[in-house]
Amino acid sequence: MLTTGFKLWFGVFTAAVGAAVFAGYTSGGDETGPLSLAWKGAVGNHFSYGLFVTAAAVALALAIFSVAFRDGDAEAAAELLGTDEAPPAQRPVGGSWWPVFAALGVGATAVGVVVHPAVFVTGICIVAAVAVEWTMTNWSEKVSGDAAHNAAQREKLVRPVEIPVLGTLGVGVLVLAVSRVLLASSVDGAVLVATVVGVVIFGGAIFISRNPSLPRGLVQGVLLLGFLAVIVAGIVTAATGEREFHHKGGGGHATETHAGDGH
Amino acid sequence: MTDTSLETVDATALERVVTSTDANTLGRYWLGAGSLALLASLVAGVLVALERLDLSGAEVFGSADEVFQFWSAHRVGLVLLAVVPILVGLGTAVAPRQVGTDTVAFPRMAAFSFWTWLLGAGTTITGFLIDGGLGAPDAGSQRQAVALTMVGLLMAIVGLLGATVSLLTTIVAGRVPGLTLRRIPLFSWTLLVSGTFWLLTLPVLAANTVLAYVDLRGRPAVRFGAEDAIWEQLSWAFTHPQVYAFALPLVGIAFDVVPVSVRSRLANHDVVLALTGALGVLGFGAYAQTFFDTPGTPIMREAIYVVDAFAAAVVALALVGGLADTLRRGAANLGGRPPAPMVLSVLSMLLLLGAGVAGALRAVDPLDLLGTSATGAQMTLTIGAALVGAMAGTLWWGDRIFGKSSSQGLGLLAGLAAVVGVLLVGAADLVSGFLGQADFTGASVAAAGSPDSGVDGLNAVALVGVVLVLVGALGWFANGIKRLTGAPAPADPWGGHTLEWADDPSSVEVTSERPLLDARQTEGASA
Repeated sequence: MLTTGFKLWFGVFTAAVGAAVFAGYTSGGDETGPLSLAWKGAVGNHFSYGLFVTAAAVALALAIFSVAFRDGDAEAAAELLGTDEAPPAQRPVGGSWWPVFAALGVGATAVGVVVHPAVFVTGICIVAAVAVEWTMTNWSEKVSGDAAHNAAQREKLVRPVEIPVLGTLGVGVLVLAVSRVLLASSVDGAVLVATVVGVVIFGGAIFISRNPSLPRGLVQGVLLLGFLAVIVAGIVTAATGEREFHHKGGGGHATETHAGDGH
Repeated sequence: MTDTSLETVDATALERVVTSTDANTLGRYWLGAGSLALLASLVAGVLVALERLDLSGAEVFGSADEVFQFWSAHRVGLVLLAVVPILVGLGTAVAPRQVGTDTVAFPRMAAFSFWTWLLGAGTTITGFLIDGGLGAPDAGSQRQAVALTMVGLLMAIVGLLGATVSLLTTIVAGRVPGLTLRRIPLFSWTLLVSGTFWLLTLPVLAANTVLAYVDLRGRPAVRFGAEDAIWEQLSWAFTHPQVYAFALPLVGIAFDVVPVSVRSRLANHDVVLALTGALGVLGFGAYAQTFFDTPGTPIMREAIYVVDAFAAAVVALALVGGLADTLRRGAANLGGRPPAPMVLSVLSMLLLLGAGVAGALRAVDPLDLLGTSATGAQMTLTIGAALVGAMAGTLWWGDRIFGKSSSQGLGLLAGLAAVVGVLLVGAADLVSGFLGQADFTGASVAAAGSPDSGVDGLNAVALVGVVLVLVGALGWFANGIKRLTGAPAPADPWGGHTLEWADDPSSVEVTSERPLLDARQTEGASA
């Protein structure tokens, strides 16, 4: 019996083939071109024809998969597994940091393509790190049926690596972003920014260490906002560009000094 | 089973927000972020409508290029950053329940998709705001900012694709025993159909964006087209027929809401399955790219495009007919005050029909409406219909999604404001198209197509319309905020027919497309 999914996607396939032939013929093709995939004859508007044919191929593949796996019906899955009841479709997995980190990595990679190669490389590093971490998480979840044991196994294997690597990455991103801000500011402004940022970080750290009862969420929120502010400032200043640098002596090996005019 | 890395034991509120992979929570995120993007898009739309009050110059903006940036931002924002994400949010929260499961397939990927889309949306908006957008870079836009807009758009597309894969896999592989694809609720079915076409067409849009990016940044040797024709390469996604594929879930919302509201079964369930499948096929718009027109007849004047436009109108009419039949048969059960979601979902279907008519008129060659504001009218009516449908959907399923009640009266008022606004914009722009006003009016009368007299008044009507849609969206947003602090909602306020209203879907025997109604009727018969 043909399944509903097969009917849907085979219908899409049929419609796409029909549209391809119709479009190919009515846009300047001849009698044989649209029917022979242009092996013989012309298909008129190649772009439209090509897209319709591609859509038809994808829909046909979906239709075949759909009928082969009986639309993924629970009864068919149970029959395949030889069990009385269908297996759970998807178990809840709980909270995970990897999706948001992966998105940040992809975002940094994409934005880095535009604003600065260093941001791009940072993004690639984040994506690579998250790929390893995410894989380890999935592996550890299948070690046993005991979540606590799985967590211990994972930590034993990964923690010695991830803490120094993530720390280095975090520091690197911050250094990069702050350096973009300093390079875009005037000389006096850069001194001011460096002083203020340094005092805020140092003062904040002292304040947090002297108040261990501060709510963890508050500390995390402040740190996250600060981190995001530095990143955004770094991206914006990287996009707007550095200030002009004036070279003393004009030679290629002359000592570089800043004019200090802020322009 | 919890994630065993960077553990969230005793997680703070912030950690719970950022790390959640729960389908319902992710659905709320999509809804919230999409509605904020909706407000931003509509503000851009209001500014553009203000600019159109005087076609002879750029009064609100500094130049024609800036007008174009906001004009294109309004369209891109409305479709890819607002309405489609809102529908994805509704789907993420509702579709798993409709098929009897409590989570989406690939929940971490679903979370990744949301965050990627969010970052992409933020980057796109930033690109528009810092003098970028999708205009010609030499016309004033900064090249870096234009490039930033495009990578933001790419990220948003990637996020939408990931969420769609997760949703479709849930619908196909997550169903409880007995719930065949033929029996799934129509909202899930239309998500399956439209999602198929999103997966077929959004990668094409992504490829267009990559080509345009390479043209912008690449060396002459790798140029594919023209760097000053970015919008021309992307515009197909924001016009007929592609907008039907984006708006299709509104049909599912209407056909889920109306039968329950009138306490009646849908007479021709299978016909509706087939018609929505057909509308999805007709919404495949990737082929209609004017940028790749071959010498000869432009694609929008070719037979396939014209047939597509008329067929879509006929299918929309048939769907409205099916809905009207259900309403007629259940009219006696309706009572004096029909539920707000039902009113809005019926109106959204009528707007879709209006969009179909506008699309068909636009495709009639002798009327010469291609390139006129009739193009915008068709887009506004279709995407506006989807927005109103989404408003109906959040009113209908909101109690289940948020666990708290909202004001049905405020929701209805907000929806009606949006309906009237969409209708005003659509009608005014359609008539302006007949008078020769260009789709993008620029900053001079010549750029606006030197239209006949009368368009000034129509543009004023369109401005009122956009403001009304904005007011409606604000009301809808306020109602959502109000819901967050509202009273606990009943589990099933409507007497629903499908599994999303069941406390334990696995305990329900599914033998038709309305299992809860079957159970109630069986209980009634045995009593």
